[in-house]
Amino acid sequence: MTPVEHRGTRLAAAGDDRGTRVAGLVEAARQGCQDAIGDLVTEFSPLLWHVARTAGLGSSDAEDVVQTVWVKLLTHLDGIRTPGALVGWLVITTRRESWRVRKDARRHIPAEQDWLAAIPDDHSRTEDLAITADTQRELAAAMRQLPARCQELLRIVAFVPRPDYHVVAAELGMPPGSIGPTRGRCLARLRALLDTSTEGGA
Amino acid sequence: MARPTPSGRPAEDEPLDQADLALLERIRQLSEIADPMPVDLPERIRFALSLPGLEAEVARLCAEEDQRLLAARAADQSRTITFGSDSLTIMIRIDSNSDGTARVDGWLDPPQRRTIDLRTPGDALLAVADEQGRFAFSQVPRGSVQLTVRAEPEAAGTVRAVIVPALTL
Repeated sequence: MTPVEHRGTRLAAAGDDRGTRVAGLVEAARQGCQDAIGDLVTEFSPLLWHVARTAGLGSSDAEDVVQTVWVKLLTHLDGIRTPGALVGWLVITTRRESWRVRKDARRHIPAEQDWLAAIPDDHSRTEDLAITADTQRELAAAMRQLPARCQELLRIVAFVPRPDYHVVAAELGMPPGSIGPTRGRCLARLRALLDTSTEGGA
Repeated sequence: MARPTPSGRPAEDEPLDQADLALLERIRQLSEIADPMPVDLPERIRFALSLPGLEAEVARLCAEEDQRLLAARAADQSRTITFGSDSLTIMIRIDSNSDGTARVDGWLDPPQRRTIDLRTPGDALLAVADEQGRFAFSQVPRGSVQLTVRAEPEAAGTVRAVIVPALTL
């Protein structure tokens, strides 16, 4: 297991670096530094994208919502002093804006879509093997077995700097202790599912 | 690795460990493969945020009709997009010029005289909407553009600008 532990250590260090860097960007942005705001856009737009998509928006609506949220942030920067406050504000504002768009939309928005549809669940589509490693297919299969709320939480948390996992869980209305500092129910269930599939497949 | 629980499963009340962090990283990669954000989205937003005059309304995409999808006439390449804000509806039709540039015709509703500002990565174009709310940019380079509906100079300060989300011509 040595290689895995090595990789984990490196990831943890990268996560902590990211938290420190984001803290610096938040402070610089609050003081009006345009470059820092731009760097925050690059850093967190993927998070906003996945929040909007888990809220059920189509691609072009999701793009509009992400842009709208950044424009709104510019008038709210004064009150945001920590990365946790920023992440919390971004997640909740993106969700509210996404719900508003869904509610206002006269056009039809398909209800439930399988966000993992692009990941083949067997070996039949060999041309996809290059981009979809076996481990990712295995992860997709396990994710599909989780409740929708768990999929949503884990998808969003995966784009957040490590110190702020609990902020996202709170904004999504998950119970305290659902993720960070503890593992939480969703991640524990996912690990149990992956352990089972490894034992079964070996 | 996680300390094994009596059942041999990682328990939910244990602290996050390295395996959890590695798993979250895999979930991030899976999300990026399964449902990727358009790669140019952050760049387009950075471009839009460089706008001056943020005391403005932001218009939202209401409808987009792409004639190319309807495949009505092969030569007809027009696209009609409608944006709405609290005070204005903005309709834009994009046509192709034979020289490869785009022509942008627009209508404001309710009709009113406004200054229309169209920014491209390399240029800033101006047009004036007439009393019928009509405006036109006859030659616009292809690529990302940002439209802003501003007050006429004499009405500056009394009418709020309306920012239209960046779009790709």
